[in-house]
Amino acid sequence: MSASPEAPVIALEGLTVGFGGAPVLDGIDLELRPREIFGVVGETGAGKSVLARAILGQLPPGGRIEAGRILLEGRPIDALDAPQAARYRGGRVALIGTNAKALLDPVARVGDQIGRVLRAHGKPDGRTDRRSVRDRAVALMREVGINDPERRARAYPHELSGGMAQRIVIAMALAGEPEVLLADDATLGLDATVQAQVLERLVERSRERGLSVLLITHDLGIVRHYCDRLAVMRGGRLVEVSEVSRFMAHPADGYSRDLLAAARARPALQPPRKSDDRPPIVDVRDLTMHFQVPGSPQPIRAVDGISFSVAPGETLALVGESGSGKTTAGQCLLRLLDNTDGRIVFDGRDITDMKEAAFRPLRRHMQMVFQEPYVALNPRRRVRDLLAEPLALVEPMTGAERGRRVAELLAAVNLDAAVADIRPGELTAGEQKRVGIARALATKPRFVVFDEPTTALDIRVRAQIIDLIRGLQSSMNLAALFITHDLNSVRSLAHRVAVMHLGKILEQGETRAIFESPREDYTRKLLAAELPIDAETSEPASAGSAA
Amino acid sequence: MARRSSSLLRPGLLIGLALLAVQFVAIVFAPWIAPFSPIEANPLDSLQPPNLVHWLGTDELGMDIFSRIVFATRVNLLIGFAAVALSLAIGVPVGVLVGYYRGLGGALVMRFFDFIQSFPVFVLGMALVAVLGQEIWSVVIVLCMLFVPMFARIVRAEVLSLRERPFIAAARCSGANDFAIMFRHILPNAMTPVIVQVSVSIGMAILLTAGLSFIGAGVRLPSPEWGLMVSSGAQQMILGIWWVALFPGLAIVFSVLSFALLSDEAQRLADTARRKEGAR
Repeated sequence: MSASPEAPVIALEGLTVGFGGAPVLDGIDLELRPREIFGVVGETGAGKSVLARAILGQLPPGGRIEAGRILLEGRPIDALDAPQAARYRGGRVALIGTNAKALLDPVARVGDQIGRVLRAHGKPDGRTDRRSVRDRAVALMREVGINDPERRARAYPHELSGGMAQRIVIAMALAGEPEVLLADDATLGLDATVQAQVLERLVERSRERGLSVLLITHDLGIVRHYCDRLAVMRGGRLVEVSEVSRFMAHPADGYSRDLLAAARARPALQPPRKSDDRPPIVDVRDLTMHFQVPGSPQPIRAVDGISFSVAPGETLALVGESGSGKTTAGQCLLRLLDNTDGRIVFDGRDITDMKEAAFRPLRRHMQMVFQEPYVALNPRRRVRDLLAEPLALVEPMTGAERGRRVAELLAAVNLDAAVADIRPGELTAGEQKRVGIARALATKPRFVVFDEPTTALDIRVRAQIIDLIRGLQSSMNLAALFITHDLNSVRSLAHRVAVMHLGKILEQGETRAIFESPREDYTRKLLAAELPIDAETSEPASAGSAA
Repeated sequence: MARRSSSLLRPGLLIGLALLAVQFVAIVFAPWIAPFSPIEANPLDSLQPPNLVHWLGTDELGMDIFSRIVFATRVNLLIGFAAVALSLAIGVPVGVLVGYYRGLGGALVMRFFDFIQSFPVFVLGMALVAVLGQEIWSVVIVLCMLFVPMFARIVRAEVLSLRERPFIAAARCSGANDFAIMFRHILPNAMTPVIVQVSVSIGMAILLTAGLSFIGAGVRLPSPEWGLMVSSGAQQMILGIWWVALFPGLAIVFSVLSFALLSDEAQRLADTARRKEGAR
């Protein structure tokens, strides 16, 4: 903890930024101290990203500082002349953005891209000939934890994984040897184990170089594990600024308390009633899905012989990182993909080789909640039509009956009835997710596949969705396959867990048992990468970065 | 709000709509607007320069050029609209089917389109008109040979990417059959580039109709048709008789311009809509 009251590196005094209408940032007072890692937490639309852009002096088009100032070591940054400002951006303050792949130039080798930053911001005495720039780029890549940096430096961004690309962006940020790093949701969308590794590196390098870091995130777990102090943002204001340890124990503001409560796991569900007497509703044996790649003799083994079963009223969580084949497995169950091998038995009937027309009547009993809510809803159709469509599977209905059923469904997922008349594009991500859930429940199915129902949602929305699914599980006695990489929601929702890795199920068992005594190394690694907000739940995250 | 109103008042859109309105007035009210019959030859008045009686002069048969231009709007736009409508009616469903089912049949259809499109338009036009006769409908069929593959290709390309989108899988889970997926879920999402292309195609159709008539593979005299009028005036151009070819030429220019401007605006609207969708 570096709480010593030194002169702040960056200070914001009553910073107010607007885009013509209501201010997006409203009187922000903030001090970033030397060598401090400062977390900024808030939900979508809180103004976190605008804050980072304002500090960098690069507001999005239309944005304007309406009041207040930004001080770098006591000097206002708008007093800098053009060359100083150019040195300031990237040289003294560097931004690490979300979605590294989109930030990198797709037609330049990543080593050269780091080289560009080195040329622009290298120390005056630094040599700028090809060789030494290259060497320094490679050294930076090694520093952020890229294996075989000499070879990787010649790669183009599309040849890198998301985590690797994010490391390149961090290397680019470090290249200018800045004093302040602004990390704007830098690990969003990365797998948990990769996220832990990337953050670990970022924090380690920053501590080593004595940098101040503004870590912007919506994940309280990240703040809890890496930050010294934090600020909670809401609607362009800072509602609370506090030491992390004090905040976790005693959040002062009501909104902060809500956030913390929402981020905590719900109490575990009752273990499922012993179901030996009842046959499983879904029974999968040696499910295999191989994709042929044109021009390659080796198929992609997306799902490679997995077996599991789900009893009525039971929730099985399929956890694993991206690329483990979880979603593919779910799609095979619903006959959206034609599996290469293995049997799928639903309610005693083998559906593996059923033709679509024969299977369609069964669809009312098996539904799926799709991963990305926006792309899973036809943008041209109104919510009413989207919800009414599956009703045709149940029985013929009059228009009035359909209307009533749509209203019931919207009420069941806590959406306003007026939502029926708008198109998905006008809904928030949380509302879209609810529409997706309502659509899957329209036919009162007995088995539902939830594909990542909680990803890409704000903390409180995620908690609401979890509560919603919990409520539906008990009220409808729903059997569910819950596909996710969010371990927190697994604790809250699943009776049993199956851990999937590279197309295979490594181990499965009762949720509690898996979380408390995992047998496989991979499971342990997965659990260790989680950044829980409660210290006692798990080992510190550092174990995850050992790899 | 400020941005929305300014996008409606764009000069391109206004000029395009104004020119289109002029053409529609000409189509509907041609008999009342035109002072003379468009097909009545009057050899005594041949090749008169523009004057107070014949506002835009007369051609070598003594027909009033202004009246012919007005009536020709009917012929040229009818051909343009008919060709594009027919091409849409055939090309769009074919594109959806070929994109959705792919397979051997689809491949054969696409190769057939390649085959048709590999002929130069005018060669194809001359051959077809020679077979079918110099009728308005022959010209429409020639244009359809050109536009059906074009629309089918555009739709197919959209369908190929749309069919892999998650909302299609979601629709299948909701019990939609192939027909519903193709025409209720995919097609509405595939129409934007088609709509943009419609306006361009009408302009192209008008230009090609005029071109075909100019080389004698289109509409026959004395039917009023812009390309034909330009063609009959072309020989007199070097004699200093400029009005016979110039005015129908200008009519072609303004007509094509109006559809080109409107397609630009349609493209702009489509882009804005797409950006708005992508913003989420």
